[in-house]
Amino acid sequence: MAEKKIILEVQNLTKYFDTPKGKLHAVDGVNFSIEEGKTLGIVGESGCGKSTTGRTLLKLLEPTAGKIIFDGQDITNYRRSQMRKMRTEMQMIFQDPFSSLDPRQSIMQLISEPIKEHKLLNSKAEIEKRTLELMDIVGLARRFVNTYPHELDGGRRQRIGIARALAVNPKLIVCDEPVSALDVSIQAQILNLLKQLQRDMGLTYIFITHDLSVVKYFSDDIAVMYLGQMVEKAPSAEIFSNPTHPYTQALLSAIPIPVVGKEKPPRKLLRGEITSPVNLPDQCRFMKRCDACQECCQNSANPQLREIAPNHFVACHIAK
Amino acid sequence: MSEKNLEKTTAAAAEQEKDHILDIKDLVVHFETDEGCVKAINGLNLSVRREKTLGLVGETGAGKTTTALSILNLVPSPPGVIKGGSIVLDGKDVLQMKEKELEHMRGNEVAMIFQDPMTALNPVMTVGEQIAESVMLHENLSQKDAFERAKEMLKMVGIAESRAYDYPHQFSGGMRQRVVIAIALACRPHFLIADEPTTALDVTIQAQVLDLMKELINNNHMSMLLITHDLGVVAEVCDDVAVMYAGRIVEVGTTDEVFNATRHPYTEGLFDSLPNLKEQGEELVPIKGMMPDPMHLPEGCAFAPRCPYATEACNQSVPELRPAGGTHYVACHAYDDPNFRLRRNANG
Repeated sequence: MAEKKIILEVQNLTKYFDTPKGKLHAVDGVNFSIEEGKTLGIVGESGCGKSTTGRTLLKLLEPTAGKIIFDGQDITNYRRSQMRKMRTEMQMIFQDPFSSLDPRQSIMQLISEPIKEHKLLNSKAEIEKRTLELMDIVGLARRFVNTYPHELDGGRRQRIGIARALAVNPKLIVCDEPVSALDVSIQAQILNLLKQLQRDMGLTYIFITHDLSVVKYFSDDIAVMYLGQMVEKAPSAEIFSNPTHPYTQALLSAIPIPVVGKEKPPRKLLRGEITSPVNLPDQCRFMKRCDACQECCQNSANPQLREIAPNHFVACHIAK
Repeated sequence: MSEKNLEKTTAAAAEQEKDHILDIKDLVVHFETDEGCVKAINGLNLSVRREKTLGLVGETGAGKTTTALSILNLVPSPPGVIKGGSIVLDGKDVLQMKEKELEHMRGNEVAMIFQDPMTALNPVMTVGEQIAESVMLHENLSQKDAFERAKEMLKMVGIAESRAYDYPHQFSGGMRQRVVIAIALACRPHFLIADEPTTALDVTIQAQVLDLMKELINNNHMSMLLITHDLGVVAEVCDDVAVMYAGRIVEVGTTDEVFNATRHPYTEGLFDSLPNLKEQGEELVPIKGMMPDPMHLPEGCAFAPRCPYATEACNQSVPELRPAGGTHYVACHAYDDPNFRLRRNANG
């Protein structure tokens, strides 16, 4: 077996926001690690803390507690100037390629900006050559080099976002809902592109999405989040064939399957909606919506992840 | 279709139309802007059967929402111009109606649900008042009775009556969409147009709202036009499905026909693009290229530039819908060759 290198390790990552009503538990003690060249999918519904996790581990937000170890270095307490150097190693792709691109910059300016910013290349000719190269890599025709974002459709704009992230030769890219704003036919183009880039460049991805079908296609491991915590974490195939946490089960069964007239697994509808993440009690956070909830859940503390099968972790009192 | 054939089918068509709550024929809608003419809808033919749900599927810019607005005669004008065609709703042509008749129709006979529930609700009125307002506008009820009806409607969509006194911002996204549904159904319309009603919601909430909509449609004997880009939602909710591309229907039939005996290359492309049908690791097969600019549509079939099966004939003329067995119709020149099969149907 080849040697596995852990590129990112996150220990007890916590991010609280102060609100007038109390502490908002956006991310609450998240632990995970990723091997180089792999993809971790983080899945959950609006407000579960998946984007905050992505932003905090890139230190775009200061963590309240916990440790972030990237490529062997503990970056948790890095200052801005130290983080600047790290930015060439870790990049992010955003959901909405329109609001994340400056409308007054041409494609050439947008893609070359990170190269200039980090002084990776100096001569104008080199920068231009590299920009065109990046456009080739992400499949943007060179004739668009002098156009502006508003002249392009969503798929092409997202390709610009990807080119900008790649411009600094990162090792890790956090993809925050990179295809959610795109039509299915374009979605597939972008997903294939991201996958091919991973193969060619050995990139590591953290893939944040609400769409389980997208992560299934994409991820090696999947972590399901609920109210700031990971409730289940397992290899992708395992989580789809053997979902164990009642929330994961409900999430999976809620995906409408585009199949007609053939046997489909029965629906498991969730009651109610996600509760407020402010001032959470030390109890199972899913309890109120859980149909498997038993007395022991109400009398016990918030369950922590435990290994129920090799590499399969679940935070639930009753899951076996 | 030749003229002779057309005559023959007219009688049968008239018979069939009785079963339809909505019949759109040869609808053409253009937006005449300073930059040029945006050809949003280009000869659209579409029918919705009584007490059935038709899913209208297509990508951004296919003309789905313009179709919905046309049915209510709400296409913003200018720049929108309805160039031709007819929209017969429950026996009456919407495009010939006077403003008074239209006002009566909207809400009473047809109601519409939009994608984003927050922008559809008034932030400074309680939800109870908003439902009651819609009732009072269309029915001769006192304020008190209308408010009672509002509470009833809230109960029907699964919200406690006591919350009639709350404002939209006090509700979550899923609850707001329930309120919008309550407003839409308050005047007991027979026909509901739902434009991406669950797209802004989380999957678990989407499942709840879809279940609720299905139940209400069945219990109240309503018909529905459900606009969506999600084939999973269609499979879940619809009886029939129409696939739209560049302002025309390219394939239509029952969900069973379209999902299990797909005929149009574009529909096949949509299925191939979906990640959840694939096993992990397999490459997705995206549709190459992009939807054509509706200002510069190609001469022939609008899908030809992206179509893996396209031949020279496809660039010559726009294909008409042709029968493909049962209630299944497809608009594709490839079927001039009787032996033509899509790859999806090639092996069994």
